[in-house]
Amino acid sequence: MGAAPRTVEGHEHRSGEEQIPRRRFLAWLSGVGLVGSALAGVFSTFVFMKPRATYGQPNRFRIGRPEEFPPGARIAIDPKRVCIVREGNKVAAISTTCTHLGCIVAPSATGFQCPCHGSQFDVDGNVTGGPAPKALSWFQVTLTPSGELEVDKDNEIQTGTYLSV
Amino acid sequence: MSNEAKSKWKNVVDFPANVRKSIFRNPLPSSDRGRAATSFSNFFLHIQPVRVSRQALRPTYTMGLGLISFFLFVILTVTGVLLMFYYVPSTTQAYDRMLDLRSSVAFGVILRNMHRWSAHAMVATVFLHMCRVFFTGSYKPPREFNWMIGVALFLLTLLSSFTGYLLPWDQLAFWAITVGTSIAGYAPLVGKTVKFILLGDATVGQEALLRFYVLHVVVLPLALTLLVAVHFWRIRKDGGLAKPEEVETEPPVEVVVEPEPALAMATRGAHAEPGRRFSLQGIVRGTFVKVDKLNPDTVFSWPNLLIAELFVLLLTIAGVMAVSFFFNAPLEQPVNVMHPPNPAKAPWYFLGLQEQVSYSAFWGGIGVPGIELLLLVLLPYFDRGKAGVGRWFARQRLLANSLFLICVVVNVILIVIGTFFRGANWQFVSPF
Repeated sequence: MGAAPRTVEGHEHRSGEEQIPRRRFLAWLSGVGLVGSALAGVFSTFVFMKPRATYGQPNRFRIGRPEEFPPGARIAIDPKRVCIVREGNKVAAISTTCTHLGCIVAPSATGFQCPCHGSQFDVDGNVTGGPAPKALSWFQVTLTPSGELEVDKDNEIQTGTYLSV
Repeated sequence: MSNEAKSKWKNVVDFPANVRKSIFRNPLPSSDRGRAATSFSNFFLHIQPVRVSRQALRPTYTMGLGLISFFLFVILTVTGVLLMFYYVPSTTQAYDRMLDLRSSVAFGVILRNMHRWSAHAMVATVFLHMCRVFFTGSYKPPREFNWMIGVALFLLTLLSSFTGYLLPWDQLAFWAITVGTSIAGYAPLVGKTVKFILLGDATVGQEALLRFYVLHVVVLPLALTLLVAVHFWRIRKDGGLAKPEEVETEPPVEVVVEPEPALAMATRGAHAEPGRRFSLQGIVRGTFVKVDKLNPDTVFSWPNLLIAELFVLLLTIAGVMAVSFFFNAPLEQPVNVMHPPNPAKAPWYFLGLQEQVSYSAFWGGIGVPGIELLLLVLLPYFDRGKAGVGRWFARQRLLANSLFLICVVVNVILIVIGTFFRGANWQFVSPF
């Protein structure tokens, strides 16, 4: 009589010992799954929010024939945010977006001048004063088969690199 | 008339009274018990404690700044929803809709003025409320988490105001947001991505306008509402507004929990026998809920607290309406991407930031504000002493208060310099 309950107790005891770690493990697994799903959800939201295509103006555009820019010209094209510089037969495109906080810099007697926080740049876009942290970018200029100049703002090049026309 | 007909007729006669009783469970209270029951049987009143400390009611203690902030938020929600009926978040239409508010929408001007001035005022009152909480040492345990929520609410207020700034699509809006989002772009590692996600494009344009609109009218107000609810709830759970520790230590009061359920008491409150008997409504940390013996430093919320709140509400509405009546919200020329105004200035509350940015883009825009914010959030977890809580400028808190005051004064000076002393090319100019 006394042996049977003891066996049952022992069995229950043993199964309890086995179950608690398993239960704990499953709970832990569920927790990791839930938190992981939440994090994946947050991450997916940001992926969704980051546009794959933008509707603004393209970063590659034509600006006209080289003859439209006479030697010595410094012509700022504000809508495109570039300044076309021609010295002799050499043409270059310098960014007019201030490296400080994104205002449009204006050509001045000494180079470029930012109206927002007073950054100053020389004719090549190097910082000469104010809070701007780095020089204005130079963009690649190419001559298309049709004889037009094309600026590629996705392609930044070394300051002082000109295209000969 | 048969009994049945009589009871039917009685239903008709009692109809108005029954409707009233079904809505208001408690008649206008005439006893202390009724006053208590009123506070917790009404959905809109149950956020109030049944009794409130006299200190919390003193205008010189709180200056009502938290309440004013909340009421401004309510005004902003109401006027904002009304303005939404006429606004289109499109670069080609938004500015015209602003002009339409002036010319062809009934009350359009006053609504826009109220929305604009309330937004500015809310930034100010939320900040002043934070100062009040600091200078009275009210952020100390057990209120440290509520302080953190408060800091989050301050940031959400700034973000709401900032996103709303773009919507009129005038020169002021466009360039303020151009400068403001560029500051975000300076954050290490994630800055460029954050800016791109925020604007939805490389520069401020149609995508940015749509994104700011959605953030301004849905995302941020929902987040604000949720956190405001938690903020209020925590005030109750943390034992009401901070007050000085009581000098005498009374023996713990025996808490008698009556078997009578709260709802029954609420509905039968009017017929209750005189005398004070209370059901235990909840356990409040810190101070004891006194049963039987009432704390002489507290008064019933009905009517004392409610009248105070009503007074602050009316004062806030009157103030906003008066300002909106005399001063029109600014509206500059429509956006001209080619011609930044000189100087281009961010909204006034970010001008201290812009002033710092003019010295160093990273440290002014991200480094120093980040450190300030981190200190604000961590503060209550490291400054845990109980001394000087619940009093303005307590002597024991001289060091903490002085340091905070210096930070406040420096930031205010930076904003004043950025607002009045900066002209073309961000050169120093004298406004006089």
